[in-house]
Amino acid sequence: MKIGREEVLHVARLAELDVPAADVEGLVAQIGRIVEYVAQLDQVPAGEQAEPFQGGPERVALREDVPGSVPLVRGPESFAPEFRDGLFLVPRLGSMEGE
Amino acid sequence: MAWETVIGLEVHVQQGTRTKMFCGCVSAFGDPPNTNVCPTCLGLPGSLPVPNAEAIRLAVRGALALGATVHHTSVFARKNYFYPDLPKGYQISQFDRPLSTGGSVRFESPDRGTVTCSITRLHVEEDAGKSLHDRYPGHTAIDLNRAGTPLAEIVSGPDLRSPAEARAYLVALKQILVYAGVSDCSMEKGTLRVDANLSVRRTGETALGTKTEIKNMNSFANVERALTAERERQVALLESGGKVEQVSLLFNAATGAVRPTRSKEDSHDYRYFPDPDLPPLVLDEAFIEAERRALPELPEARRARLERDYGLSAYHAQELTGERAVADYFEATVKAGAEPKSVVGWVLGEAMAGYNADGHFAVSASQLAELIAAIGEGTVSNQAAKQVYAALTSTVGNPSPRAMAAQLGLVQVQDTGALEGWVDEVLAAHPGEVARFKGGETKLIGFFVGQVMKKSGGKADPKGVAPILQKKLKD
Amino acid sequence: MSGARALAERLRAADASGLNATLHWSEELLLAEEARVAALKGAGARLPLEGMPVALKDNIVTTDAPTTCASRILEGFRSPYDATVVTRLRSAGALIAAKANLDEFAMGSSTEHSAFGRVLHPTHPDRVPGGSSGGSAALVAAGVVPAALGSETGGSVRQPASFCGIVGVKPTYGRVSRFGLVAFGSSLDCVSVFGRTVADAARVLSVIAGPDANDATTVDRPVDPVGAVPGSLSGLRIGLPAEYFPADLDPGVRAGVDRAAAALRALGAELVPVSLPHTGYAVPTYYVLAPAEAASNLARYDGARYDARRIGPAGDLPALYRATRGAGFGAEVRRRILVGTYVLSAGYYNAYYRKAQQVRNLIAADFTRAFAPGGVDLLLTPTTPSPAFRAGEKTEDPVAMYLADIFVSAVSLAGLPAMSLPVGLSEGLPVGAQLVAPAFGEARMLEVAGAVEAALGAAREVR
Repeated sequence: MKIGREEVLHVARLAELDVPAADVEGLVAQIGRIVEYVAQLDQVPAGEQAEPFQGGPERVALREDVPGSVPLVRGPESFAPEFRDGLFLVPRLGSMEGE
Repeated sequence: MAWETVIGLEVHVQQGTRTKMFCGCVSAFGDPPNTNVCPTCLGLPGSLPVPNAEAIRLAVRGALALGATVHHTSVFARKNYFYPDLPKGYQISQFDRPLSTGGSVRFESPDRGTVTCSITRLHVEEDAGKSLHDRYPGHTAIDLNRAGTPLAEIVSGPDLRSPAEARAYLVALKQILVYAGVSDCSMEKGTLRVDANLSVRRTGETALGTKTEIKNMNSFANVERALTAERERQVALLESGGKVEQVSLLFNAATGAVRPTRSKEDSHDYRYFPDPDLPPLVLDEAFIEAERRALPELPEARRARLERDYGLSAYHAQELTGERAVADYFEATVKAGAEPKSVVGWVLGEAMAGYNADGHFAVSASQLAELIAAIGEGTVSNQAAKQVYAALTSTVGNPSPRAMAAQLGLVQVQDTGALEGWVDEVLAAHPGEVARFKGGETKLIGFFVGQVMKKSGGKADPKGVAPILQKKLKD
Repeated sequence: MSGARALAERLRAADASGLNATLHWSEELLLAEEARVAALKGAGARLPLEGMPVALKDNIVTTDAPTTCASRILEGFRSPYDATVVTRLRSAGALIAAKANLDEFAMGSSTEHSAFGRVLHPTHPDRVPGGSSGGSAALVAAGVVPAALGSETGGSVRQPASFCGIVGVKPTYGRVSRFGLVAFGSSLDCVSVFGRTVADAARVLSVIAGPDANDATTVDRPVDPVGAVPGSLSGLRIGLPAEYFPADLDPGVRAGVDRAAAALRALGAELVPVSLPHTGYAVPTYYVLAPAEAASNLARYDGARYDARRIGPAGDLPALYRATRGAGFGAEVRRRILVGTYVLSAGYYNAYYRKAQQVRNLIAADFTRAFAPGGVDLLLTPTTPSPAFRAGEKTEDPVAMYLADIFVSAVSLAGLPAMSLPVGLSEGLPVGAQLVAPAFGEARMLEVAGAVEAALGAAREVR
């Protein structure tokens, strides 16, 4: 599985990450090197049905349906880049509109 | 050449919990924006989710009510996509190991009798926040109060064959979920939302056509309208030699039309993977069984039982079971001693007028039963009973209907002396009619009864009046 | 002089030396911390860490100072809530000393990938202190604080502890709450502890450990108290996994581990060879899973709610996302987001992510076999293949940097407790040995480490 320029640009779009044109070639080489390196897992015999790893508790502990959450010592207006009338503001959705 | 329509629905219902799916913020409707928020539902750095036991319990209930198999182990998964009302950049949902699979909804189709629509799966997830696109020019405003409220997503098989049938399915599904106490299923409040998939194919074909997805419908009626519009659009497209593209469409209730969304390239690669913040959801058999036992009788079974036990018509059984509270009221009134067939009329007539959205009736079942008994024993007339009923609805403290009738002076007079007095006055006042009666026009008996009732101010017992009239007119 | 003022002096001196280990601290906050501890004491609280300064890696959120994760994208961000570990430290009477520098979002093994400059090795400024918790390690090694919190995803505390010659303890996954630890690889992340001594690290760990209702991955089981340093280790079986002693292991590192082994043997422990056959797959497995989880965990930094916003040329939302994320994340973070997105993307999930989770199970099973009844109680290995490397030495080839974690990543994948403790020098550079314990075996591991520490200290004094 060789990773090329198209794949790198595709995942960059999925990840909403600008990749400056000047960086593309270097990134393709680096990502290619990493992906090639991790691809050695192919050699490990582990059948399709092998169980994936599960760390931590065996089952999730559930919370009672009782109001009470971790309080905010400062409201959203203290950290939001743009906040008006109690609302977070972002630029118009543009090409994502109505998704 | 005829076309067959194939529809499958994805229904999201919000479980009726006090708090959100993964944090203790209240899941209230209508509070000032961004007030019911905490580190977890804001997706702040370092915050973590902890699932709400009640949201899980209600989802299990819903699954059992649909006859689904609840899995002992299910897995929360992250659905990754960017959207400003999705604070973490992923939604916690379930993917390849949902809470339940299977199940079905049986309902009466307007087109083809009893239909069984299969349920593919039911899974739990968290809701996103709300984007307001038209509040500020050039901006989208985000309210995260709704972010993280619990949802159960119920995916049907592609088993529905017309827009009207899809609507009937929704009505039946809603009934089941409300009966089971999963959700109030209000499209108005947004606690029930529908996405629809529709394709068409030539009648007789077995392969499915290319489907489109329709969103943004705010009532069952609009689901039907939107599906009708989309069916027509697809048929017209195919008949003119075009091809249906797999797209998402938004319904515009004002125009009744659907239009494609400008959906992002790659937007459907959600990169699902098990959420490492949440160990598997493990449900013991004992828990599932206890929930199964706790399930109330569901609409279909109840309809059958009402027909069987009370001798009701299919129509009345259907009407009474539309809402669980109505059927409960009917049965409670019967249990309090009233005759079932007379109860039906009162429950579907007078009582529905005083019934409000939170399932409360203005007159209690025992009051209604007493009122019906009072009619039966002749204490009040049918007419007077309606006045008594109206008085009861506006009186606090559940007074006795008999006492109320007495207070209003509506108790029927059965005393022969009093009745004879009124009869004598009526006969004296209408000598012409008396003569015609005696001449053989016996149907005038109704006229005389009416006049006696009028004279008595509605208090005379008609059953006592008739024999006295007969006797006096023979003289 | 008050403890807080003395601490401020030490922090100032460390900053002036160019160590670059701190990102935020202030004398005012230190004095406030000291007053707070005094008030707690006055109220009669039990304060097991009374007055103990503890530095925090700057990916642990605090309300009274910024939390940047050493990233431009969080520049200026102040968390509106405190991490569970911070609350627990404070209730125990600790003084939060400073927020320490790190590799951006904890991604790195050298603390060269900080948006705010690299951290120097405390005794060899041309070398790296290890990473990603390099700032915390450097502050402890330089004697500024007796203990610090770091975080581990794949060795980010043990490896710098080894490079800096201090103690670094990673608890069992689920032992310490992650609530308030900025997520990198959630199935691997563990708040972990640095100490000058085993005892200091153990004290801090015992305060922060234990279940947390806000973290569904914490395990509800009591934290065993760490007993006194045992005088004899008779009956203890310690495994030496063959895969951790390759032919090209740095001779100084080998000698250090041999010293620890000799000390253990002298105390009566039995050393037995064992095999962990899947060890070689740990680093590639880690570099599938950690980036995949990171790509998802870092999606929230999009410029919409709480971070440095950069408007793109088009001015619409996707442009904002791409510009903010493109400019806000450094090169290593971007690489990992891209790799992580790739391995989860349509068509590749089974080949990479799922496969890696399966191999992870095989790696964990290696340890389960070694610790099975009749097997060993602990494992002893080198912490790193070599002592601290030179700055810039591994920045060109990401895979070479990843391989610096070859002896620490398998343990992280298996979720086991482990620690690095200093066992001497190799050409003047500190060398660490790693002890690995079965799940929730921290107490026994720390007791044995205490015995080794005492024995090696005594040996040093004799020499």
